[in-house]
Amino acid sequence: MKDANLAVLPRTWREAAARRREGSWSRVARVTAPYLYLVPMVVLVGVFLLYPALDTIWVSFTRWDGINAPTFNGLHNYLQFGSDPAFSTAFVNTLYWVAGIMLLQVGAGLLLAVVINASPLGGLFKRIIYLPHTISGAAIGVLWFAIYIPGQGMLNSALRFVHLGSLQHNWLTDPPINTFAMILAGIWQGMGPTMILFLVGLQHLPRDPLDAARMDGASALQMFWYVTLPLLRPMTVVVVAISLINSFKVFDIVWVMTQGGPYRSSETLAVTMYRESFVSSDFGYGASVAVLLTAIVFVISVPYIRSMFARVEAN
Amino acid sequence: MATSERAVSKVRYGRWAITIVLALMCLIWLGPLWTLITTSMKSTPESVGDTSAWSLPKSPLRLFDNLKDAWSTSGLADGFKASLLYAVSGSALAILCASLGAYSITRLRIRGRFFWFVLVFSGTLFPLQMYVIPLFKLYQDTGLYDTRGGLICFYTAISIPFCLFVLRSFFATVPTEVQEAARLDGAGDFTIFWRMFLPLAKAPIAVLFLFQFIWIWNDLLFGLVLSTSDGIRPIAPTLAGLQSQYASSGQPLVLSATLIASLPTVVLFLLLGRYMMQGLQLTGGATR
Repeated sequence: MKDANLAVLPRTWREAAARRREGSWSRVARVTAPYLYLVPMVVLVGVFLLYPALDTIWVSFTRWDGINAPTFNGLHNYLQFGSDPAFSTAFVNTLYWVAGIMLLQVGAGLLLAVVINASPLGGLFKRIIYLPHTISGAAIGVLWFAIYIPGQGMLNSALRFVHLGSLQHNWLTDPPINTFAMILAGIWQGMGPTMILFLVGLQHLPRDPLDAARMDGASALQMFWYVTLPLLRPMTVVVVAISLINSFKVFDIVWVMTQGGPYRSSETLAVTMYRESFVSSDFGYGASVAVLLTAIVFVISVPYIRSMFARVEAN
Repeated sequence: MATSERAVSKVRYGRWAITIVLALMCLIWLGPLWTLITTSMKSTPESVGDTSAWSLPKSPLRLFDNLKDAWSTSGLADGFKASLLYAVSGSALAILCASLGAYSITRLRIRGRFFWFVLVFSGTLFPLQMYVIPLFKLYQDTGLYDTRGGLICFYTAISIPFCLFVLRSFFATVPTEVQEAARLDGAGDFTIFWRMFLPLAKAPIAVLFLFQFIWIWNDLLFGLVLSTSDGIRPIAPTLAGLQSQYASSGQPLVLSATLIASLPTVVLFLLLGRYMMQGLQLTGGATR
């Protein structure tokens, strides 16, 4: 009771005296001052992020060449998805990316984390695997382009070296191999964070169930499948959501390595969006691809955002 | 007794077997960097031919000549300097704006704390593709297109939501007594923010700066869309342009340029990698 009463009192006598003396103008200043701290952040985010995001939705319902005023054309852009072969190629390629990342980055990343966690040199391996993630997608595109050059590139050279010359390919010009080749580059870049998040999860697992299973004589494989994996579930949800979202948005590597070609055979949705808007000046159609991407990403993120906000409200 | 000893040594052997397999994997993992570095040390004729991927460079010191050539090609030097400016100022301004906001949301008397937070944080929820078309138009209409100021504004804005997320949870953990004590000494809200909260948040601010610096340095999309001339264009789109222009004529030049473009972030990682990986676990990984 006493505490509750104290909380109502002014914090200091000096403050109370100041409040008694102040006029109505300085009262306005005192009440509004705390909001001024929000102004830079809200204005910047509002003007450069939120307004453009909302405006893109409007643009997606128009026909617009970027020069003349946009004209409303309803759902036309969205209906075009069905009849545009470039779009369906991009959609399928994007699904290849998603599947590749899920299988090879998330799946193998989990195994890698388990193995690294058990190795005495884990710290070193962790750094080596993470290193490519610090390099830009543009730089990775240039580098892997060099690796895939048919004659002198490292991949075909390596295949000839181990007498598997028959497996050589024109990695970046034959669809759909060009998409698979770029997915490998993407995994080289993205493996680091995936593995680190799994490692964090593994290091925070409760000891008791693991010890109990060990006492009961469970084999390593049984331990992993029946104990580790279920306990790791919360982190797995986060990693799967992040990886799904990122794999739907792939742009940099594709743009630098093939620009989506040859003949638009290796485009992803993000590349289609860029090409339609900034190469073909069909901004309405480009915007509708962006909105579709957003819709997909939002559906995937629901569980992730929910867990994130649960954490925010908890603290 | 004997069985448990055997079990222990079995586990130990298992660990070293795993380690050897991992070491081999890591060697393969570093293969692309071998290409990057050795090709940057070769002359153009040395870099072609069926066995060139394995041949060692004849004179490794050629690296410096190649780097010098790349540095003066197609505005790479300009791109490097421009990106340095964007990455430093964008991250710093974003941290400043976000820390002011986070301080107000957690510590001052305002209405709708959660609303303001969600409003700003929702800036990270959209795929980047949702921003580019209206920004392109806005920048052309207002004269921000192809200016350093325009790029700094955008990079600041895109960095704010994540900084707010981290700083808000950090400020929430600062005990109220700290603030009360300062107030008793007659310090105003801004003084408390500037003299106490900012210095207290040194560690998360350093991690945020690292993250945002690398993000801005590595950005390709907005550099492509919002700028076009040398001196304004950031490093990643400059490198992409260099690739489409020179990839067929000279790998050493293109890969030397790639080496230059990757150096700052790789050096940061080698020096501060531990904090980067810790930062990742602190935030659960940023979606952007």
